[in-house]
Amino acid sequence: MTSTLKGITLKGSAELVAEFFSFGINSILYQRGIYPPETFTRVTHYDMSLQLTTDPKLKTYLTNVVAQLKEWLFECTVQKLVLVITCLETNEVLERWQFDIECDKTAKESSAPREKSIKTIQDEIRSVIRQITATVTFLPLLETPCAFDLLVYTDKDLEVPDKWEESGPQIIDQSEEVRLRSFTTSIHKVNSMVAYKRTDSV
Amino acid sequence: MDLEDDTTVLTTLKSFNSFISCPERPQRLSDNSAASGVLQSQYTRRMELLEAAERVQYKSRYAQMDQERKQMELSHKRARFELEKAASDHARNLEHEVDRNQELLGRIRKLEERETELSKNLSEQIEANNALRKSLGSLNKKLDERDTRLNTANQSVNSLNDEIRELKQKIQIQDSSISAQKLENQEVQEQLDLQRRKYQEVSELCQSLQAAQSSCSEHIIKIKELERRLALQEQDFAIVKTVKSEAAKVPDLEKELKRLRDANSLLRESRENCSLLKEEVEGLRKKLERTEKTKEELVNMELEKERLNEKLQAWENLGQSTGLNIRKPEDLSREVIHIQQREIALKEQNYTLSSRVRSVERAQAELSAELSQQCSKTLEEQKKREAQEALVRRLQKRVLLLTKERDGMRAILESYDSELAPGEYSPQLSKRLREAEDILQKTQNHNVEMEGQLTKAQEETGTLKLQLQTVELELETLKKQQASASDSVSSVTKEEVSILRQKIEDLEAERQRLEEQNNILEMRLERHNLQGDYDPVKTRILHFRMNPTAVAKQQRQQEVEALAEEVTRLRELVRSLQEGGALSHSHNDSNMHSSSLGLTLPPSREVLDLRKQMESSELRNQRLKEVFQKKIQEFRTVCYVLTGYQIDITTENQYRLTSVYAEHMDDSLLFKKGSGGSMQLMETEFSKTLGEVVALHLHHQKSIPAFLSAVTLDLFSRQTTI
Repeated sequence: MTSTLKGITLKGSAELVAEFFSFGINSILYQRGIYPPETFTRVTHYDMSLQLTTDPKLKTYLTNVVAQLKEWLFECTVQKLVLVITCLETNEVLERWQFDIECDKTAKESSAPREKSIKTIQDEIRSVIRQITATVTFLPLLETPCAFDLLVYTDKDLEVPDKWEESGPQIIDQSEEVRLRSFTTSIHKVNSMVAYKRTDSV
Repeated sequence: MDLEDDTTVLTTLKSFNSFISCPERPQRLSDNSAASGVLQSQYTRRMELLEAAERVQYKSRYAQMDQERKQMELSHKRARFELEKAASDHARNLEHEVDRNQELLGRIRKLEERETELSKNLSEQIEANNALRKSLGSLNKKLDERDTRLNTANQSVNSLNDEIRELKQKIQIQDSSISAQKLENQEVQEQLDLQRRKYQEVSELCQSLQAAQSSCSEHIIKIKELERRLALQEQDFAIVKTVKSEAAKVPDLEKELKRLRDANSLLRESRENCSLLKEEVEGLRKKLERTEKTKEELVNMELEKERLNEKLQAWENLGQSTGLNIRKPEDLSREVIHIQQREIALKEQNYTLSSRVRSVERAQAELSAELSQQCSKTLEEQKKREAQEALVRRLQKRVLLLTKERDGMRAILESYDSELAPGEYSPQLSKRLREAEDILQKTQNHNVEMEGQLTKAQEETGTLKLQLQTVELELETLKKQQASASDSVSSVTKEEVSILRQKIEDLEAERQRLEEQNNILEMRLERHNLQGDYDPVKTRILHFRMNPTAVAKQQRQQEVEALAEEVTRLRELVRSLQEGGALSHSHNDSNMHSSSLGLTLPPSREVLDLRKQMESSELRNQRLKEVFQKKIQEFRTVCYVLTGYQIDITTENQYRLTSVYAEHMDDSLLFKKGSGGSMQLMETEFSKTLGEVVALHLHHQKSIPAFLSAVTLDLFSRQTTI
């Protein structure tokens, strides 16, 4: 976090956004039932109660990804983060949670902190996570066993680190899209949205 | 000292008591009152004695106490010595204890370390345990699934058993019906027997009747026979004749046979030729098909050629009609390039014109800006002037007021002058007057100043007006300039401008269209972006290699493989069990049941038993076969030895007999078993030589054994004679 409460630096912004992703991914996994609810524990953050996983494998995976993401956010080379939910039986992509990240690259040159309080940013983040929780009401039920994957859209000139590899965009065939709220730290702007496979049942 | 005091009191008390306890004696003594002094002395002496005794007693007691004290001191010393000893012992023990304590602490620490290690191990074990539990759960699920499958299989087996039972019941019913029918059959046979008996009786009667008839008819038969023999002889004669004629025909027939054989071989060759020709025909047909196809293709090609020709013609026509020298695509492209170059040149012209227009517009804009500036300046000046005028007006008002005041003051002074005597207040009045005059002077000065200011302001306004006028003039000149410039421009390129304007309008329209398209495309792009599309030139997508999806997929794959393996294994098991079950099926139902029960289980003991039984039965079968083989061989040799004929079955219902005494290996007789069990001799090379015997034994006597034995005897006699 930044030393002063009034302003925000690039580093602090990257950490805030990475923290948001950590909590956001956890709550999506909980809400969509990708992992059983008993493997989650309740914590209080952003003045609201959130679910965090206790599954050790998932935990290590998320910490790995979020740490790398923080680095990229600090370098302003990340464009999108996508959480893809895939059906294991048919290998079909059922849901895509997309977070578009707009980086203000001028913040890399000038280290002067921006004038936006952490409290207002956290308020914005809270409303985004609330909306994620509320999406369960209209998203179709996931009836088959599913797994998730995290895709990171980065700049082309980026060097691929160890343990990472290139992937396809995993686009859903015939999807419905819903835009969600966005928040900005005045350095990183995060637009969130969810796309899901259209069901023919209606 | 206190103690002694107490003792004195005690002794006095004792003495007093003793004195009181022996009152009688003093009474008696009191009788002789003279003796009272004696008594007194006695008493004192006694008291002294008592005191001495007590003193001695005290001394002894003191000595005793002293001794006791010494003893106490000694014991005390000893005790202290002992205590010191004990203390040193304790100290030593304490050191030991401390050492031991440290050792124990060390051990405790080690134990704690071990405990932590063990706890780590424990946690690991717990994790492993959890994993195993999960796998156990999955295995249990699989087991359950298999159980359900087993149950369904059992159910099907039960249903099959039920069916078998029903079928058995049906069989029993049919058996019973068969037995009933047998009974009926027996009854019918009994009836038949009765009928037969009756029939025999009747036939006996008939025979007696026939005997009479036969005696009568014998004669007739004899006559007839004689007649028949005669006829036969005649027939034989005729036959002999015909045979002779046929014998004469034989060489002709043989010739014909040869001819036919030749023809036959010729036909065979022709057949082979025919097949060859057929193949050739087949080949030719294929070729024909191919040629037809190629023909079709050719037609198509021709059609296409026609089309292309037409196209070419059209192009040439176009070239001719346009008057351009277009003969080849190169010409066309050259023309196109030419046109494009022209277009480019025109475009350039357009650009230069538009840039000129733009520069003119820019100049106009600058001029208008200047104009507005000037206007604002004039406005400011006007405002200033108005302010100055207002100031002038105020000052005039003030001047008026001051003159009025001055007039008032003068009137007052005059009234004062008139009212009052001039001598009394003259100094005062003159003073006042002077003051008033001073004020007047001042006001007048002020007035003059004000007027000066006013004139200055008016002068300023005048200068400003002049400036305004000059500026306006400038503006006008500029406007004129602009107009002239535009006029000049328009006069030069009015047409061009109109063209350009049209072009600009066209371009504007196109721009709008393109903008709309752009908007549409942007919307599409947005939608694609929403769906997760990306620009592969700028962006790359990365994901963690060991992501949960990949892990889950891998697990699934492994699971599937394991299941497939299990399925193949189980299939093999089922197959083996079914083979075993097919054998056990013939034995009884319970066995089949057990075999189907053990579908998924390793082969049970029962199955093994059944297999053993099967093997033993097969072995028995084999042995029986061998025995049969042996017996048949024996039987055959015995037949051969006893009858002198070797009997072979060549084909179905045909028996070949070869005699022991046959002159050649090929000499054999062929019998065919006709319908009704009668045997017929077939013609062979050997049988042809036995015409007489055949005629005698088979045609007349109708006895095959006699024929055979005749042949045997004949052959035997031939051999022995040689």
